[in-house]
Amino acid sequence: MSESDSPVVLIVEDEPDVAETYKLWLQGDYEVRMAQNGDEGLELLDESVDVVLLDRMMPGLSGDEVLSNIRERDLGCRVAMVTAVEPDFDILEMGFDAYLSKPIRSEQLHDTVTNLLERSEYDSMLQEYYSLVEKQATLEATKSSAELAESDQYTELTEEIAEMREGLSDTLGGIENDDDFIATLRGLDDGDDN
Amino acid sequence: MYDLSSVLDFDALEEVRPGSSILLSGPAMTGKEQLAYDILADGARNGDGAVVVTTSDKAQNVASEFRDRVPTLENAQLGVVDCRGEGGSEQGVIDGVSVHQVSSPGDLTGIGIGITKALEGLHNSGRTRGRLALISLSTMLTYTDKKTVFKFCHVLSSRLDAADYIGVFTIDSGAHDQQTIQVIKQAFDGLIEVRDAEGGGREGRVLGLANEPTNWKQL
Repeated sequence: MSESDSPVVLIVEDEPDVAETYKLWLQGDYEVRMAQNGDEGLELLDESVDVVLLDRMMPGLSGDEVLSNIRERDLGCRVAMVTAVEPDFDILEMGFDAYLSKPIRSEQLHDTVTNLLERSEYDSMLQEYYSLVEKQATLEATKSSAELAESDQYTELTEEIAEMREGLSDTLGGIENDDDFIATLRGLDDGDDN
Repeated sequence: MYDLSSVLDFDALEEVRPGSSILLSGPAMTGKEQLAYDILADGARNGDGAVVVTTSDKAQNVASEFRDRVPTLENAQLGVVDCRGEGGSEQGVIDGVSVHQVSSPGDLTGIGIGITKALEGLHNSGRTRGRLALISLSTMLTYTDKKTVFKFCHVLSSRLDAADYIGVFTIDSGAHDQQTIQVIKQAFDGLIEVRDAEGGGREGRVLGLANEPTNWKQL
């Protein structure tokens, strides 16, 4: 997240008209940054960027190359590939988090960005959930059940865990679709320890 | 509802809610793996789909073991995700069983893609019910840390919940410290524990699926 309250979206797109349109649609809700090609995109990328809209076909560095660079640098951002045609391969296996095929409508763009931000939210909730569960397990492993029954800390922890579990199943509908499922697992593989 | 009581005779297993994920825990050599297969085979005899995620058995062996248990097994009723990382080219549909190879038990994205394809295959053949077994979490824990395995189990449970499947995950309780088992347990809706019984044979109990844990009972 950036220092301002709005999430940051980076648009990497070589056609200025198209990039401007996306910006117009998004700037009411997000802080929008623009790059005209892959190299510029990589320069503008830092920890503050939450979502990248990446055109696949660009002169110079291609979208795929930018993506692998992002994954290598282990930046926590989510990447949506923008393509002219619907891809006939599995974009999930390639490491993209979502794809959009042109022409893109405003509503579609908003939905995709919202979904990608929700995935990041899910990841951090899952991390927090784990920390609570680990604390609880440590207490359970070191204290007798009589001690646990009297421990306020343990009671609070148990309540927090139940709440967090519910929160997780509300976010992303608790991983309802395959894209969310794979993307979340890839986050674990990357060893994202935020 | 899923009725597992014909495999394990407990009232608490008569009506397992779709979407439940169950940890099957016990020391080595207590037949956890066989129990997991029994639960899947019992469902398959009644038309449920089956997905086996294996870290130790060759996909072909899983398939033939399954056929022995379920002679009526139909095409596209079983999917195997082979995570040994030795499978090579045995991909796709082999003798009516869909097989997916994954590079290692630590490749969570690969396992996820394999499961997704297996679920898709079952869905496309019109099955709305199914059971998944992951054998075993202990092997995964040697490839990746408990935090990652915990999160993986939670996310996979959520996915199974959305599909209205049930999941059975085996873990060797003697291979990990108590804290690790406690953590992993929390990713599941219920727990089936097995152990060697004092007078020989083995016994089991069920926790988390009914209001009270059941008593230990000879299996």
